[in-house]
Amino acid sequence: MTGLQINGLGLVGGFGCGAEDLQVALEKREAPVSRVNLRDHLFPLFQADTAALGNYLNKRALRRIDHFSRLALLGAFQALEDVGPLELNRERLGVIIGSGFGALKTTFGFLDSIIADGDACASPTAFSNSVHNAAAAHISMQLKLTGPSLTVSQFDQSLVSGLLSARQWLAEGRVEAVLLGVVDEYCQVLGYCWERYFGEQISSKMRPLDFDHFSAVPGEGAAFFLLQAEADCAAKYGIIDSVVMGQLWGSRPTLIPGQPLVLGCEGHPLNGGIYRQQLPENASVACYTPLYGAAPVTQGFDLAVAALTLKRGEMFPSADSGGDYYSGSVVTEARKVNRLTCLRYGFGGEYAVIQLKGNG
Amino acid sequence: MDIKTKLKQVLIEELNLEDITIEEIGDDEALFGEGLGLDSLDAVELVVVVQKHFGVEIKDMEEGRPALQSINSLAAFIEEKQK
Amino acid sequence: MKKAPVAISGAGCLCAAGLTLKESFSAMLRGERNPKPPVAFSSSHIEKFPVFEILAPLPIPGSDVELLRTSLLAFSAAGEALADAGLEPEQLGQLRVGVCIGTTVGSAMNNEDFYRDFRAGDEPEMTAIDRYLRSNPAAALARRYQLDGPCQTVVNACSSGTDAIGLGAAWVRSGLCDVAVVGGADELCRTTYNGFASLMIADPGPCRPFSSQRKGLNLGEGAGILILESAAMLGKRGRQARGYLLGYGSAVDAYHLTAPHPEGEGLQRALAECLVSSGITAEKIAFINSHGTGTPDNDRTESRVLGKLFPDTPFVATKCYTGHTLGAAGAIEAVLTLASLEQQVLPGNVGLGVPDTGLPVHPVAENSAIRGTVGLSESLAFGGNNSAIMLGLEVG
Repeated sequence: MTGLQINGLGLVGGFGCGAEDLQVALEKREAPVSRVNLRDHLFPLFQADTAALGNYLNKRALRRIDHFSRLALLGAFQALEDVGPLELNRERLGVIIGSGFGALKTTFGFLDSIIADGDACASPTAFSNSVHNAAAAHISMQLKLTGPSLTVSQFDQSLVSGLLSARQWLAEGRVEAVLLGVVDEYCQVLGYCWERYFGEQISSKMRPLDFDHFSAVPGEGAAFFLLQAEADCAAKYGIIDSVVMGQLWGSRPTLIPGQPLVLGCEGHPLNGGIYRQQLPENASVACYTPLYGAAPVTQGFDLAVAALTLKRGEMFPSADSGGDYYSGSVVTEARKVNRLTCLRYGFGGEYAVIQLKGNG
Repeated sequence: MDIKTKLKQVLIEELNLEDITIEEIGDDEALFGEGLGLDSLDAVELVVVVQKHFGVEIKDMEEGRPALQSINSLAAFIEEKQK
Repeated sequence: MKKAPVAISGAGCLCAAGLTLKESFSAMLRGERNPKPPVAFSSSHIEKFPVFEILAPLPIPGSDVELLRTSLLAFSAAGEALADAGLEPEQLGQLRVGVCIGTTVGSAMNNEDFYRDFRAGDEPEMTAIDRYLRSNPAAALARRYQLDGPCQTVVNACSSGTDAIGLGAAWVRSGLCDVAVVGGADELCRTTYNGFASLMIADPGPCRPFSSQRKGLNLGEGAGILILESAAMLGKRGRQARGYLLGYGSAVDAYHLTAPHPEGEGLQRALAECLVSSGITAEKIAFINSHGTGTPDNDRTESRVLGKLFPDTPFVATKCYTGHTLGAAGAIEAVLTLASLEQQVLPGNVGLGVPDTGLPVHPVAENSAIRGTVGLSESLAFGGNNSAIMLGLEVG
């Protein structure tokens, strides 16, 4: 297949804003957990702050843009800025957005307008912003990108599903570059769902390599990538070699022996068992979800970590060192690497595998 | 508070016009296009705002268009309907 | 650049006009339609905006506790399409099958009853959320048929169905899968009903696309599915193609969140890409299935673009028979485009009344014979998305 060069990164999440903030969190092996409102109490969240978007857009431009789209816009602006002076034809730049849940706050905000004031007072602005492709629309308008635009919603496979289409577009020559991003946001209903599903166990310290015990903390944020077809010139970060999405009822992920795995586990025993059963015994693993939390699209952050890893040619120590609960081999100190794989299992047997390599 | 001031206030709040103040909105200033710079989505939002805050229904855009020209025209429309 | 055509080996759809493609298309040719205020839910609007609702039991009924109606609609159309393609459900697990489905309601966590209870401070049961989590249309189809290939739910608002077909075709063309189940599905929902009412683009009467009296759209529900297949797989199975997906194009306006660009700037570029990728010139197109929602803005933009690029090509807005089925619309229209090509007839645009003289071109008012093997179907959407696909009975 055609490799995909990662030539720009845009990030916002619990660790902060931008690749540098993520890198700091990776080195410290921790990121702050906020406490946010959930009805009458507080709830842990890797919360993403979009204040930095003020550097790119004024208040007037932002007035109808909700938190979900702000997360996405912040990711998008950074990723394009990160590419640098590279001339991109904006008619030939595709936009692909993946989201597990879409604009939750505005989805319920629209219902608020109906419930509070009746059907006749339903807010058209809220309705228009509640559609899943609202973030893509704001990105195309604010960044003047007029190529193909696609928003996908595939829960845990949202990133790989989007990557498959990005690869198609570049391979077919539909576009010269793809701005691909994933985004999910927190809202109180989501917090309620977490409490109903996971009860009292909600913690604030993630131990994702403990596959048997619940330790997930929800996260929100956006991870954006500027992708181009593999070319003679070096990639700024690294190259996505292959993207595979599959289902355990039909196949198993093909993993390359000896290649370190960035695991997308998030401290959910619901799918922890799958990781334990499926992981090769001698696999060398790292997991960074304790730096950004659990959400359908956090594989986007895994991919960003992989990109930063390949750029410096060295693994970051796993944010979960495995303690006494994980018996396999965990990457606990920096070590040279030029190839690695991001692996994520969903809750129903679906899996996503992204293999990456460094330049040359 | 007179109806025009109240209109300006709810306009700023409901349409998130954080970058302007009540004083900066002229009674005769065009709400759409040049002027305040509102657009078609604001127009339908304004219909809801008028219903919600003034209890006045704007049935469709044929009725809405002349009313939504400026603060003056909107205030006159509301006062007429409230009679 | 011209791309290789992808075979269509099966098709299916259901909508208010009928529970199968055959039923739906026959009803259209008879000029039948019967939009009514919704039965599935009530509203407190003074105007009872009519909708195109499927009132008969679905061909594949299933439990609506288990799954959203959107998934059941997708199952029903997929069942028809797979049978048409001669594919047994048991076979599918053995093949490399992708699934690419457009939707809006099928991917939204917006259950109103659940949220009312939550908002009132109650502790609603998780039934509605469980159902939502099980009902992602592409994932639900993959689970039902144990598919193990690329899986994508396209949420490009009202162009989702068209995009899903174009994107799935690329998977087959590149060898990512041998078969792709593509299309769209959407159910009627109080949320979207209130949404379009709030935007003041719901017609209080039966919708009248391109008419001088048009006041907006009527919502509808349904699903449309095409089975796309590689030439190799088709040959191996000893089957003939029913038609071909010849090309696809998409582009955005970057103009406004809900309104189309007045001159259809993005639509023109989407059409240009669609023409180039299918290697078809404008004069070879027998007819166009327009987006034709019946909203003043959409129909104006579309008529301008069609008048500029295809001034003499007949077109139709089949939404006057199906209502606007949102994420399913482009897929249902693709399936209807195929039916028109096969039967060489275009249904008349029912309810056109007095055509809007401000528009350069108008749809056919009566059933019209067409001549040719190529048809175009286009979609416009919130967010400024525009997309178009070219379907043909022959390879290019």
